Amino acid sequence: MTSLQSSDRIVFRDVSKFYGEVLGVNKVNLEVAPGLTGLVGPNGSGKSTLMHLMTGLLRPSRGEISVCGVSPDRPEQLFHLVGYCTQYDNFPNGSTGLSFLRFALALHGYSKHEADERAWAALARVGLSDAANRRIAGYSKGMRQRIKLAHAHCHDPRVLVLDEPLNGLDPMGRAEMIDLFTDLAKEGRHIIVSSHILHEVDVISDGVIMIHGGAIVAEGGIREVRGEITSHPIQVLIRCDQPHVVASRIFELEHIVEARIIERDGLLVRTRDAADFFTQFNRIVIDTGVVVETVAPADESVHAVYDYLIGEGQGGGSA
Amino acid sequence: MTTPSNLLQRQAITLARHEIRRSLFSRRSLSVYLLVAMPLALMLLRALFMPGSMRADATHATTEFAEVFHFFLLRFVVFFANALIFVRLFRGEILEKSLHYTLLAPLHRTVLVLGKYLGGVLSATLILVITTMLTYVLVYLPHGAAGRQLMLSGAGIASLASYLVIVVLACFAYGALFMLAGLFFKNPMVPAIVFLGWETLTPFLPTFLKVLSFVHYLVSFAPVPVNLGAFALLAQPVPWWVALVALSVSSAALVFVASRVARRLEVTYSAD
Repeated sequence: MTSLQSSDRIVFRDVSKFYGEVLGVNKVNLEVAPGLTGLVGPNGSGKSTLMHLMTGLLRPSRGEISVCGVSPDRPEQLFHLVGYCTQYDNFPNGSTGLSFLRFALALHGYSKHEADERAWAALARVGLSDAANRRIAGYSKGMRQRIKLAHAHCHDPRVLVLDEPLNGLDPMGRAEMIDLFTDLAKEGRHIIVSSHILHEVDVISDGVIMIHGGAIVAEGGIREVRGEITSHPIQVLIRCDQPHVVASRIFELEHIVEARIIERDGLLVRTRDAADFFTQFNRIVIDTGVVVETVAPADESVHAVYDYLIGEGQGGGSA
Repeated sequence: MTTPSNLLQRQAITLARHEIRRSLFSRRSLSVYLLVAMPLALMLLRALFMPGSMRADATHATTEFAEVFHFFLLRFVVFFANALIFVRLFRGEILEKSLHYTLLAPLHRTVLVLGKYLGGVLSATLILVITTMLTYVLVYLPHGAAGRQLMLSGAGIASLASYLVIVVLACFAYGALFMLAGLFFKNPMVPAIVFLGWETLTPFLPTFLKVLSFVHYLVSFAPVPVNLGAFALLAQPVPWWVALVALSVSSAALVFVASRVARRLEVTYSAD
């Protein structure tokens, strides 16, 4: 067992968090090694609670946490190491992208000149240089997501905690951000990414932590957990302008179990190979010129995965 | 290279500047400006509609300003302006759901509290000192040359300086209290109004209860005593240095408690 003071691991020891009588997370024991780790669970499963605990925005009711040897109780040390992109979509009133980052960097102790340089570099990295002097209140959802990512990594942290970082980004933006996370992980950093979109985590993560009802139901290498997931068809809901065109092309794929048109612009797809489905789906979109509004796993698919894992893994065993 | 003490200083100054900008130039500061505009508007109306017989007699201006200061400026404008500015230091960001950005900085929570408090004190002091000076001028101005002479004489300036000392000390004391209230209460204006009731009742309380109010110490610096009415229980005025120590110690104690509360502060916006 790694000690809490381990300088390269994020360690949770018997951590529980209760909100009054409501359970947040229960008896979590984790050791996260550097690399890209996916934190997966449905809404309300405790992903954000776990991330808040890791970053000291919440305090554990029981147990101990250490992030690379530093307790989250010591923000003055912790946030030299850690950057956190939360799910909150609010910003200080009146901030522009640039002023928002400058303020954060000034609090890190950078001089005005250094803060400016770092702010511009972070804005460039997330593709917001042109919007630097615009008010964040006028940003699109995707731009707000990008500025939060810039805020989280502008001070070059060793640990980057990202809560649903791809929400609101268009496919191109998602691809860019995934590349960014992968690059950062390759530099030896911890990247913890939460998502309720399994295939995204599957594509980018070295390891995965699955949480449900505040308990860790699966934790480990991506292959092991992936093995569990592929045995059940994953449902994907696509909203686009020509669902019948997509449906006809999708039926040609071997792993498709079902493709059902819902309402006028919805298509519910059940597939046994999500990774291949998304690869092929991108091709279909390019070939046909279909305009896609959203692609998201249907709730049922997430539930199915959890039903399966909980059924098989009573007692909180690891996959 | 930034030394740890330099870093703390720089962080506190950055936070203070940020709070000054928020307190003076945000949309929310409009309520503070409306509040401080009230005594100015009233004194302006008084100046415009003052009968000629009263204009000729400047001797009442000193007592009039003392009454305006005690019953309106100090107990209402200074009190609520501090409440509006300091309650927002934390509660405002919690309601805005943006407090987490500050909590995600490598800041000792004590530095966070001190930086915000400093910003609040500087903003409140700036606004309220200017308001008090303008009110002072507007009280004396309608009395013509005699009023100006009274206002600018050595005694007049000394008297104004005493009122400004009260305002500055009030910003420190009420500011610390309301910042703490903003950390503790979801709706800090309710305890603020309760405390205003307590401060208003102070003249009618026995001495052992008077000492539990700020206004009891603040009025020790007042250059002109005012008539508090037939039911007021008169007490020996507190020496200025005792008042200064009491206000400083209580402000420091409140800021210390606020920093202890801030150390345990969690981000649970849905619960707030």
